Amino acid sequence: MYTHDGEDVFVIDGHIHLWDATKENIIHEGGEQFIQCFYDYHTGFTPEEEQWDMDTYRHYGTERMVQDLFRDGYVDMGIFQPTYLTDFYDEGFNTTDQNAELAEQYPERFVLNGSFDPRDGDEGIEHLERLKDDYDVQGVKLYTAEWRGDSKGWRLDSDEAFRFLEKCAELGIENIHAHKGPTIRPLNRDAFDVRDVDDAATSFPDLNFIVEHVGFPRVDDFCHIATQETNVYGGLAVAAPFAQNRPRKFAEMMGELLFWVGEDNLLFGSDYGIWEPDWLVPAVMDAEFTKEERAEYGVELSPEVKRKIMGENAARLYDIDIEAKKEEFRDDAISREFGLGDTYEEASAD
Amino acid sequence: METTDSPDVADGATSSSGKTESPVNLDAVRERLDRVHDPELDRSIVELQYVKTIDIDGRTVTVTFVLPTAWCSPAFAWMMATGIRDEVSALPAVSSVTVRLSDHMHGDEITTGVNRGLSFESVFEDAEDGIEAVRRKLDRKARFARQHGAIKTLRQAGLDPDQIAPLTRADVDLEHRSDLAAVRVRDGALTITVARDPLVDYIAKARETGLVTGETDRLFADREGDPLDPEPEAFDSTLRDARLASTNIEGQATICESLHESRNGVEFD
Repeated sequence: MYTHDGEDVFVIDGHIHLWDATKENIIHEGGEQFIQCFYDYHTGFTPEEEQWDMDTYRHYGTERMVQDLFRDGYVDMGIFQPTYLTDFYDEGFNTTDQNAELAEQYPERFVLNGSFDPRDGDEGIEHLERLKDDYDVQGVKLYTAEWRGDSKGWRLDSDEAFRFLEKCAELGIENIHAHKGPTIRPLNRDAFDVRDVDDAATSFPDLNFIVEHVGFPRVDDFCHIATQETNVYGGLAVAAPFAQNRPRKFAEMMGELLFWVGEDNLLFGSDYGIWEPDWLVPAVMDAEFTKEERAEYGVELSPEVKRKIMGENAARLYDIDIEAKKEEFRDDAISREFGLGDTYEEASAD
Repeated sequence: METTDSPDVADGATSSSGKTESPVNLDAVRERLDRVHDPELDRSIVELQYVKTIDIDGRTVTVTFVLPTAWCSPAFAWMMATGIRDEVSALPAVSSVTVRLSDHMHGDEITTGVNRGLSFESVFEDAEDGIEAVRRKLDRKARFARQHGAIKTLRQAGLDPDQIAPLTRADVDLEHRSDLAAVRVRDGALTITVARDPLVDYIAKARETGLVTGETDRLFADREGDPLDPEPEAFDSTLRDARLASTNIEGQATICESLHESRNGVEFD
């Protein structure tokens, strides 16, 4: 567990992947473009000495992932956000069934999310039901820009999508994570437009809508929606790494997000393997406003606020009892493997 | 032939290659290129270090540019490519301009289309919005974001919302001094001097978007283009909204800069 100024910070990494972009798995040139684009994001915001080579990046595997998150990365729990892309990758890029390999090995450490695609119709509904049955998923990650045959994307406010959201509500899948934001080659920019979230969030007040990547390059549109809808949240993946190489830009962005979206509605995510929590968690925890920034935005980036963003908000969405988890992690498989049990003892909080 | 390579162009370094006499001045080409903006980031393509090479051969100029990613919106790339073509063509010494977009997923279509003078809509038939509609949308956003800087400057000079909201173009003298503009308030009873640049930048965009074209036009407007409400709370709320528009552009620029550094090896301060 991470400690900041002597205080415990329970870290729930709200955005992690276990992907397979090996050449053997790529069946469409879009698959190669996609992983190359991810790699540009990786190198663009990763300190030079922490950058991976391309082969590692294509497929890092479960063993490395567990080490990077828990042994080295201060992460206490992680939430898998699948990305299917089955038109690009033979077995899919990062599917719930692939993620389950690790999630089922350490169920106390991982939250496993599902996914749906309204273009799949009845089959898609059955898929969602199966994910609920097999894994008891509490959330879904949605990729509205995903290619499927001739279609280059879909909208969250369509009748077809509403049918699936109704199904989620019925099955108790409450957390709807929508990738909205940076265009990823070769996917189309406008399919990442954030505005369709508004209608969906209004129509389904019992579901939580987490807009991943806070809607870049339309953070303003996202903020307007989030300020009106209490069930709209922002996932900080992509914004968080600003803390490392553009700290003042990070502060400005956090000033806006705390003002418009609020400290209870923001979730930290590393986007692992795009970025790694071992340098990202400290970079975010060390971020502070200057006096001028505090006066400009009228909000605080206090340790309490950062604790909410780092884990408490995600815990609320996913019914995670942090105190019970700390007790459990004094002696779970991960803590035994990496000698972490002591960090969860009461004494470390004093 | 005279050639410069990035980042020399952006750094303003002079060409070091052979001195074939050409009537076209490299600095003049650069100055024209500086007027071309990335429509989403609202900054000059020279400042953003997109210009890779400028080749001058007699009266013919070839400009090669590269974007932070290969998947930057084709519509944005198109606007920059046509901007380069039109700005450089405007130099009297130039008889022909060729624009090349390198390392882009639609590089060939854009290069060919722009050099042949085709329309965006005929090259990208499945694009949902026409190029002019996209440009207007981005320009409106940029206008609103720049307004934050302008109003902040006026606020810092002591003007209150009552005085700022009704300002017209005629109330501002941008030529007061090289670094200062003069703003008339209280029906001309008082003139206040403020930093010039934020107002110059803002008014240029306000003119481009058609918000401020005549002397009696109001300078400022909300996101939708409606006049500002001088009531302090409403005024501050619009100001914060403009700040958000500005932070969004700056944040996206941060992403683009990092990708540009990573992919194309340029460096920003």
